[in-house]
Amino acid sequence: MSSSSTSPPSLNSIGDVNALFQTAKKYEELNVIGTGAYGTVYKARDLHNGGQIVAMKKVKVALTEDGIPLSTLREIALLRQLEAYRHPNIVRLLDVCHGGQSLERDQQLVLFLVFEHVEQDLESYLKRAPGPLSENRIRSMSYDILSGVDFLHSHRIVHRDLKPHNLLVTSSGRVKLADFGLAKTYDTEMKLTSVVVTLWYRPPEVLLGVSYNTAVDVWSSGCVLAQLHTRAPLLAGSCDSEQLHCIFRLIGRPAKHEWPQNVSIVVDSFPDYPPQDLADILPRVHPQALDLIKGMLVFDPAKRLTALDCLEHPYFTDHAPH
Amino acid sequence: MPYWYYDKKDLLNTPSFRDGILNEAENRYRKEGARFIIDTGSKMDLGYNTVATGVVYFHRFYMFHSFRTFPRYITACCCLFLAGKVEETPKKCKDIIKVAKSLLTEQKFGIFGEDPKEEVMTLERILLQTIKFDLQVEHPYGYLLKYAKCLKGDKAKLQKMVQMAWTFVNDSLCTTLCLQWEPEVIAVALMFLAGKLSKFDVVDWNGRIPKHNAWWDMFVEDITMELLEDICHQVLDLYSPQTQQTGSDSPPNQPPAKQPKNEKKPSVTPPTSASPIAVVSKPVLTPIKNGADIKIEPPKVDMRFSYPAYPPLYPPMYNAPPPAIPAPRLPIPPGPPIIPYSEPPPANRFPPVNVPPPNYYAGMPARPLPPRGPIPPGPPPPRPYYPPP
Repeated sequence: MSSSSTSPPSLNSIGDVNALFQTAKKYEELNVIGTGAYGTVYKARDLHNGGQIVAMKKVKVALTEDGIPLSTLREIALLRQLEAYRHPNIVRLLDVCHGGQSLERDQQLVLFLVFEHVEQDLESYLKRAPGPLSENRIRSMSYDILSGVDFLHSHRIVHRDLKPHNLLVTSSGRVKLADFGLAKTYDTEMKLTSVVVTLWYRPPEVLLGVSYNTAVDVWSSGCVLAQLHTRAPLLAGSCDSEQLHCIFRLIGRPAKHEWPQNVSIVVDSFPDYPPQDLADILPRVHPQALDLIKGMLVFDPAKRLTALDCLEHPYFTDHAPH
Repeated sequence: MPYWYYDKKDLLNTPSFRDGILNEAENRYRKEGARFIIDTGSKMDLGYNTVATGVVYFHRFYMFHSFRTFPRYITACCCLFLAGKVEETPKKCKDIIKVAKSLLTEQKFGIFGEDPKEEVMTLERILLQTIKFDLQVEHPYGYLLKYAKCLKGDKAKLQKMVQMAWTFVNDSLCTTLCLQWEPEVIAVALMFLAGKLSKFDVVDWNGRIPKHNAWWDMFVEDITMELLEDICHQVLDLYSPQTQQTGSDSPPNQPPAKQPKNEKKPSVTPPTSASPIAVVSKPVLTPIKNGADIKIEPPKVDMRFSYPAYPPLYPPMYNAPPPAIPAPRLPIPPGPPIIPYSEPPPANRFPPVNVPPPNYYAGMPARPLPPRGPIPPGPPPPRPYYPPP
């Protein structure tokens, strides 16, 4: 008890503050799982929890004159709050900590978001699948994805970047959404790497650069749902304009009155593609599944199904997957 | 996920206590820190939610650190600063410090050192780590209003009761109740207290079903009378002069074990400090600014002096005069030596949060809450239980 007989210290005089809060003490980094556009995800061992394996996401936050930006705090607060619901289709956020300022006077803070570690993502799951997934597996995975998206939307979170790479597949085959909720934090800092962001799941409104909302996630989910059937991306463009061509070749070029205003690209710059029958592209797929995906891949975001609409679609309700 | 509720024995064996600060003194520091956050926040026109969030951060922080290591007024400023950002009512750090300076004596402000802003900003990261980035905090206010909407009876009397309950919730921030009970439970208890004191007898309410004995059964199950009384007493004790007598003005630099004289004879009269912060011997009743859309106004000041006039509802629990010798301490559990700035205990020290927010998706079973320590002298109260919607 007598170990602290010093006078109350000035915080500035304690040079060791950062060191004492180093995450390295709690987590042992094992290897890099992935490098995204905004940061690196490590596989790590939680030394305080019996060596449990976790996924640690490192995010660099630029400090302002008044410390940690409000938007970052709000986003972390919301992620923490969401965690209390323990939604089965959302990856568990186990801990948040910071690694201190990397250098004295360096105006950035390294945050670590510690998530449960899920062995594989949907991308590798589909690659490794020896053959087509069973109808029931596809339906249950589709439902999982849409449940997670609906949960986020009901908390006013737009994922913005849904793709097989950040959909995690647990050993029991459940799907969990990851990598969301930090959009504003990402926006306020420079990109850490020059990793090319995949365009395949981007909806037309994002590619055209107009305002967007929760409907973007429904589009992306629609692309993923189609991929569950074929195990290949539905719309694999290599650049923004080619991605739009891919989209219009599938759903048809929108009519002039549907084309959003204030877009630099004019509708006539695309050939007048007629809409294709989704059944031709997704052969042997359940007609209700086709109908659902069709409703998700609608050009006008306002006419697209919502995530809740999707969950109530006969494809699920007629079969009661859960 | 961190779990933020503690048994009474945990609240006695705090880092400050293990650091040689008596419980009575710690309670006083907590009260003064909370009071200071309320005063600073009110002066800066911050809403009740921001102020309450700041106070909860403050109480949680000192479950992991000693008042000797972290001076309470700096921590208080930092808590308010962070709460402002989280509740989207941000205030500049330098403005908070300016108000703090106006509220504190020169001597007390001296602890902020040469560069007060840097002190507070440095602490922000320690605070965030200590409260584990668990930034969103719920408060009893919203529940008060929700419950009031269901109660039947004379409108004016109901309004008066809610105003009184609102004040009790404000004042409860100066206690450690937010470390003991969920906001729902505190709201029920303090509405119950306000009902008793304002003679508003709730006989009927919307949504009543035969198995309900009291209105709160509709919202929180298994609340016992012992639990309600215990919570009410903790708030009422704030108004009793005896609770304000112990503890030195600031944590001693040496543990009292080495300076027994300091603690042997607690002063009989409340401290008479010139600082407005230290004057706690009058009832601590300051309304916190209300939300614009809430019609219920904070109680008028003339209510404050009426509290002591009410006879206690039941024998007071711990208003005995301070003992002449230091109260026997709880045995200190063997463990690593206490080091300032020590890493907070791992999150799994407590069971995970057991009160899920209102269920978003159906089919989630409501989990039973763990039993809590007994409230002397009665049997342990069963934990309240939130029925699924």
